[in-house]
Amino acid sequence: MNATRSGWALWGDRLLLAITVLVAILWFLPVLWVVTMSLKPNSELMRSTWGFIPYPFTLQNYADLVRLATVPRWLTNSLIVAVGMTILVLVVSSLAGYAFARLQFPFKRTIFVLMIAGLMIPEQAVFLPLHQMFADWGIHNTHAALMLPRVAVPIGVFLMMQFFRAVPRELEEAAELDHASRFTIFWKIMLPLSVPALTTLGLFTFIHAWNDFLWPLVSATNANMYTVTVGLASIQGNFAQTQGLGSIMASAVFASLPIVLLFLIFQRFIVAGVAMSAGK
Amino acid sequence: MHHSKALAALALTTALTAGGAAGAAEIQLMRFFGDCQNEYGNVNDASQANGECGIITALVNQFNATNEGGHTVVVQTADWGAYYDLLTATYQTGNIPDVAVMHASVLPDFVARDLVTPLGSLFQEAGIDTADFVPAALQNASANGEVYALPFDLHALLFHINMDLMQQAGFVNEDGTVRLPTSPEEFIQMGKEFEEKTGQNYFATESQANEGMMVRFFNSLMWQQGVDVISPDGTTASINSPEGLKAATFIKQIYDEGLADPNLDALGADQAFLSGQAGIELIGTWMVDNFNAQAAGGQVALKNYAVANVPNLFGQDAVWADSHMWVVPKDEGRSPEEQEAAVAFLKFLNDNNFQWSRTGHLSVRQSVIDSPEFAALPHRSSYANTAQIARSLPQTQNQRAIYNAMISDITATWLAGAEPQAALDSAQSQVERILRRSNRGG
Repeated sequence: MNATRSGWALWGDRLLLAITVLVAILWFLPVLWVVTMSLKPNSELMRSTWGFIPYPFTLQNYADLVRLATVPRWLTNSLIVAVGMTILVLVVSSLAGYAFARLQFPFKRTIFVLMIAGLMIPEQAVFLPLHQMFADWGIHNTHAALMLPRVAVPIGVFLMMQFFRAVPRELEEAAELDHASRFTIFWKIMLPLSVPALTTLGLFTFIHAWNDFLWPLVSATNANMYTVTVGLASIQGNFAQTQGLGSIMASAVFASLPIVLLFLIFQRFIVAGVAMSAGK
Repeated sequence: MHHSKALAALALTTALTAGGAAGAAEIQLMRFFGDCQNEYGNVNDASQANGECGIITALVNQFNATNEGGHTVVVQTADWGAYYDLLTATYQTGNIPDVAVMHASVLPDFVARDLVTPLGSLFQEAGIDTADFVPAALQNASANGEVYALPFDLHALLFHINMDLMQQAGFVNEDGTVRLPTSPEEFIQMGKEFEEKTGQNYFATESQANEGMMVRFFNSLMWQQGVDVISPDGTTASINSPEGLKAATFIKQIYDEGLADPNLDALGADQAFLSGQAGIELIGTWMVDNFNAQAAGGQVALKNYAVANVPNLFGQDAVWADSHMWVVPKDEGRSPEEQEAAVAFLKFLNDNNFQWSRTGHLSVRQSVIDSPEFAALPHRSSYANTAQIARSLPQTQNQRAIYNAMISDITATWLAGAEPQAALDSAQSQVERILRRSNRGG
């Protein structure tokens, strides 16, 4: 009887594995197709886009990208903005999250509701006033203008608050007995404990900042301030979708590489982060 | 001794160079068309460049190398799809370009907001002859009796033709010209005959509600019936008129009869045409040189390529067209010298309009169209007449929104089986709403 059950379980596992592999292949095929097209000449792709084998093969699409003098500048801008925004979001979210989780202060509930309400306001709704405000301050076409609108992230505060709430109070109480200040407790006890949550939030912020298009498009209107997404789009010809498909695909692969690398290195945290934000 | 002579020569050269550059200005140019510095960054002769990106890059290089004022054009490229968002944003962010490319269909939005410089008197001073512009181009560049842009081309719809398939179908005249339909009924009947004899589709075009090639065709068919899609004063639309119903019913019939594949996007339509799966592709002037090169290259099924005006199916010659134009965005911070330099650059572009016509687009200058150089370009004589029959929507704002509303509803007739009259009523209602908003100043 037990042998039969374990036999069924084995087959069940194999079936699950087969389905997972199939789904993974299905997911991977479009990515493979993109890479294949990036390695074919544009003129060939105009005739046919079929097939997963890059023949005739060319690296010209990538060579055109790396030979452009402005590409390093755009990569640097993206890196500055993504790293800067990630650091600022982590600082603001962890401090605010800790305050909501552990501190008592006047109008805490009201402020919390206001903060959470921020989740319901779409980015586009504040786009024009934000753009006008930054114009009045004269800070468009700066790295600061690319970072600042994204520093206050309600979901980040919420994530950190939920994490801090789950930490046993006894840890803080022990530190209080040793006369540790509130900031010392935050800095030396709570923050080290929250590394998994901070890593997750940091990764998602970095990915979002790297992939962002709309705000950089209208704030960084000087080509020297383009981020890599806006910059790579700017070099496409008018009929790129039909006459320059290989170049578009090479741009897509090129711009995605840092994110793919980041994912491969930190995938454990990303998976944990998705589970954390879903479960809390 | 030699050393001091060399220093003196250097000082003299520096002084002369500085003297020559007095009044020289830096002209900020914002445009789409892509970046091809890798290929054409060092080409100073526009006649040696090809394609939109190559020719405009070489034209700028040529101006920088040869203009007597010592002006320098600094180019900023932008994504075609997001270009107008970026250009509009520059009025807030401060780096307003001195010269910017603009579609005729977008110019009214900028004129209504007083964002572009009137150019009539500046053109006169610079010696740009607006009387040489073909009527459609001059109309596109003008508003309220004033010229606001330098028209650079007319890009219109054309019939791109596979002559081998036409021969197989028996649609080639004794003089070697193609026989095209002269009425909707004949179009359908010839299409059926073509498919019987060749086994291929008679017609191919982008049909997936992305670029709206068939809406441009719909507009052309409306003008061919003598009806304006939008009234000249921009207050009313005639989309759901009896003429609109005739046009939409005919277009739906093309798909219903299986004469065109409704699943083709822009690339799919090009591929179908190149691989000999369609006799005619409906697309614009911008594909002429590409198709010509592909046919000559011998790697595609298309070997014998021809071009024709969109035929007159409803009584009057007319075809949809838009224009690429150059404007000088208004900027209070721009000095008179910079403005003068910007106009000098526009004059250079106008003087070299022939080079731009090598892209496949039609020249906007009658003198260029009439020139032997233009006639000698591949296939140009087959569609030079398009410049005379080109039509555009009147100078009304929000044309992109109007266009998108029409794409959504009219495409539904073949993609979702919508009844033509119901689709046109819906489009009419949406477009009227947009027109009301435009006329309120929104």
